Amino acid sequence: MFLFLGHSEDPCCAGVFARLEARGLPVRVVAAPLAPPAQLTWRLDAAGLASSLYPDVPDTAIAGVLVRDTGWLEPAGWDAADHAYMQAELRAVTLAWLAGLACPVINRPDAALWYRAGAPLLAWRALLRRSGLPLPEVVITSDPAEARAFRRRLAAGGVAGAVYAPLTEAAGFLLADDDAWERLAALQERAPVCLTEPHGAVTLACIVGNAVIWDRALPPGAVALEPALRRFAAAARLDFVEIALAPVRRGLAVVLVDTLPRLEHFALPARARILDALVALLTQERERAVAPAAPGVLS
Amino acid sequence: MILVCGGLADGVTELVCSRLQDCGYPYRLLDLARFPENYRVAWRWTDSGPEGWIAATDWRLDLDAIGGVYARFLGPEDRPQMPGLDPADAAALRAEGDVSLMALLEDLTCPVVNRIGGGLSNNSKPYQALAISRTGLSVPPTLVTSDPAAARAFHAEHGEVIYKSASGIRSIVRRLGPDQLARLDLLCDGPAQFQAFVPGRNIRVHTVGERVFATRIESEAVDYRYAHLDGLTARLEPIALPPTVDAACLRLAHAFDLLFAGIDLKETPEGEFFCFEVNPCPGFLYYERHTGQPISTALAELLHRPAPVVRREAGNTMT
Repeated sequence: MFLFLGHSEDPCCAGVFARLEARGLPVRVVAAPLAPPAQLTWRLDAAGLASSLYPDVPDTAIAGVLVRDTGWLEPAGWDAADHAYMQAELRAVTLAWLAGLACPVINRPDAALWYRAGAPLLAWRALLRRSGLPLPEVVITSDPAEARAFRRRLAAGGVAGAVYAPLTEAAGFLLADDDAWERLAALQERAPVCLTEPHGAVTLACIVGNAVIWDRALPPGAVALEPALRRFAAAARLDFVEIALAPVRRGLAVVLVDTLPRLEHFALPARARILDALVALLTQERERAVAPAAPGVLS
Repeated sequence: MILVCGGLADGVTELVCSRLQDCGYPYRLLDLARFPENYRVAWRWTDSGPEGWIAATDWRLDLDAIGGVYARFLGPEDRPQMPGLDPADAAALRAEGDVSLMALLEDLTCPVVNRIGGGLSNNSKPYQALAISRTGLSVPPTLVTSDPAAARAFHAEHGEVIYKSASGIRSIVRRLGPDQLARLDLLCDGPAQFQAFVPGRNIRVHTVGERVFATRIESEAVDYRYAHLDGLTARLEPIALPPTVDAACLRLAHAFDLLFAGIDLKETPEGEFFCFEVNPCPGFLYYERHTGQPISTALAELLHRPAPVVRREAGNTMT
């Protein structure tokens, strides 16, 4: 049996599900892996680790796991503190269970990945840089003069405005005029702000195993980044990651890393290749489907 | 220059600052109780690591002058209100400040005690136990289950069993007694973590770079940190561990990318060592005060004259 932690309406779950089902391979999709009918026993002792999540399927019979969600306990009916505790407990147990499985787990989480899902690009920056990937300039400052200096540097490069990108939100706000910069300066009285340079149209790459799957037409320089993209995914121990590249002042740069790639971001031909590669990873048919097309071949 | 990020009112941070002062090692304190509103920062990332500065009212520190960092973040209860802001807005601004600082610390090349990524395993005790077992240290027989029958069988097998949270929240160790056994059917609503009670003496190990400080604790309490709550006491003394256990503790700290770690062990009457958990931000003040072990001095030396510790790629994927 294959197990998907996520939702059946997620196109990625649905697509892989359909491919496995077409081969006659059983799949179970669960949003709350520890909820009944699950009945977990996870035992670690001198003999090693033995675990069982479902009474009807031993963990050793789970052929592969696709992790699309880290689990969310509905807060309705819970006291806020108790909800936070139970949520933390369920996530802690799910992480341990996933970490101990012998089958392929995509992505097999470690604590840093599990507890920082959705982390901003800045959290990946050192690893991206060490992998040889170009990055946009970022400034964090509570000094309005430094913010103005960044604005001037961008303007000198022909870029009007900057993007204010709070690190605790998945949002960005274009600072397009003097009013916006003045409001930013007022905010800086209280806390530092994270600014980055605006970028051009995004090109998406999805790395699945060792395959770099591009979406649509490739901008100049993209193919040359494939080895660095593979190095990054390997160093981050990610079997499945979406990376957005876009032109900034000094050329193409990584502007987003998403460890829960969205299939719906990609055009249909790329989706098919991503799903094929995922199925190959889950079923361990690495030689057949993970071997990518020639570098730079459009999907 | 050493950068200390912590609360001035926090005893552990205060001890670190006092020790640095005593050793004559220059440092700057970034008081997290007043961060970010009382500080100015300018950090810039281009093709290399971060560059820029941090400034308080009476000092300014360039990032490239920082030779080591000690960080001990504060909870919301340890921070004063921000005048003129409602608590939710203040919490949001402080969270943004903390995340900014964490991002900076992750990307500095100097020794940082400790980077956030390495300590996240402490949020899942069973995950950490699995990692501990993979470094060669024994862990107590552990069961995480939502099956009441499995819990009862585990209790019957081991006789004496403790339970504790699987996450880092409400993490107090308690003995599984008749009252709890009567409530095991509630496990169907969510799993709990049980461990065989390991008889013997508690040992707290602090690893500081490549140095190891072991402290034996004699107490009748199940969790000696809370002995006073049960009207009991705890007696602490420095000990030397077998070299193999020393080495295993260092391997464990390295595996989690922790330059400074608090490791909880127990030595059984038969001389076997079991490891319970690794704390990435140990409150070592309690141990140093009771034993006089020079933990803070070792920490000061690590920060001032960093040993040639190479940051490991493993165990902390985001750095």
